[in-house]
Amino acid sequence: MAKQGKAAVTVCSTAFLTLGRAQARALGNAELPIAVIPHPFGGRTRDEVRKIAEQCAADIAKLVSGASS
Amino acid sequence: MSTEPDRAATFEAPDDFDAINRIYREKHWSDGLPVVPPTAARVDAMLRHTQRGRHDVVARIAPGFGAATVERIAINAVLAGCDPEYLPVLIAATEAVADPAFNLQGIQATTNPVAVWLVVNGPVARRLQVNATFNCIGQGAWANATLGRALRLILQNIGGALPGAMDRATHGQPGKYTFCCAENEEHHPWQPLHVERGFALTDSTVTVVGAEGTMNMNTHAKDADELARVIAETMMHPPSNEYVHGGEPWFILGSEHAEIFQRAGWDKARVKRELWQRSKMAVRQLSVKEIDRARASRTGELGELSADTLLPISPSADDIQLIIAGGPGTHSVYVPCFGNSRAVTRRVGDA
Repeated sequence: MAKQGKAAVTVCSTAFLTLGRAQARALGNAELPIAVIPHPFGGRTRDEVRKIAEQCAADIAKLVSGASS
Repeated sequence: MSTEPDRAATFEAPDDFDAINRIYREKHWSDGLPVVPPTAARVDAMLRHTQRGRHDVVARIAPGFGAATVERIAINAVLAGCDPEYLPVLIAATEAVADPAFNLQGIQATTNPVAVWLVVNGPVARRLQVNATFNCIGQGAWANATLGRALRLILQNIGGALPGAMDRATHGQPGKYTFCCAENEEHHPWQPLHVERGFALTDSTVTVVGAEGTMNMNTHAKDADELARVIAETMMHPPSNEYVHGGEPWFILGSEHAEIFQRAGWDKARVKRELWQRSKMAVRQLSVKEIDRARASRTGELGELSADTLLPISPSADDIQLIIAGGPGTHSVYVPCFGNSRAVTRRVGDA
């Protein structure tokens, strides 16, 4: 999508950030914006997930505006 | 060091086994064991066993999508200690792992311990002495040990799946060093694997399987019905990727167990049907989270899942795969699989 000129952000957890960055480089998009959420995710309470989601949404907005500027 | 696109780099190194191995260790180009230095002469000797061009790209290997050229496959084969005539098996295996049905991206980058198991069939298995009998997935046979190791090095060095970096396996498993055997076609009550999968008996093939591990089943049962029951009960474990996703469970049946089925008049299809039917597991046996995962994965296939739904391990009985291998004894092996993957078979060419 980024190559088509559309704003693209990947969301990934801390445990997979190394993989995400390496794959972005391997696929020719080293600058791919990645919004990072803490790992693990599955055992969290609804309130914790809400806080993470709110922070993540703010991070995505920041990355999208950065990517499109 | 010299490099060109899709051409292997060459570098000068001291003519010293220990020094060369230090380089491989520092650069993470090994699996943690000493390697055979891939000198130009050794790689050239390997390449004489294929008619394919040195720089032909056989496949791109996820997750790094490095180009698996014939030359790079040969280099990794030398590193692993393969005899030069093993090369065509590795070229076919490399093609096979890159088939989309195999889901190499998932297999390489997952937290699951999944290893790639090679099953060799046909004349090439006998010519290269790939062990199909005693200790066939254990140590001792050069071809088994080095073919499986070479594929792992291809996946790591060309595909970039270094542990902790792009290989995210939580624990991994010993089969990630090497996992390779042949099928015992000489003492086989049914069609061997490659014939079942559409090849001629005289074809040579290699099949790649995303294997989560091995679970030995030692049973002295002498009755087909009872044998099927205990095997089916072995399959039923709640933290299973196969039940969650609808998988493709594999079995290495020892010839004594296969003979029990044969004497009862069961063909391979009947064994598969019996195992599939008897291994259905009530959804309530899964954890709440796994039930959610199974619903996300299998509702389209099975409809709404209730606590009482009997979950089959795979979409159909045909998804269960059986080979015959191993020495004498009352043992067979259940090979639970990754779930989101299907085995792929390729003909071994220009051997």
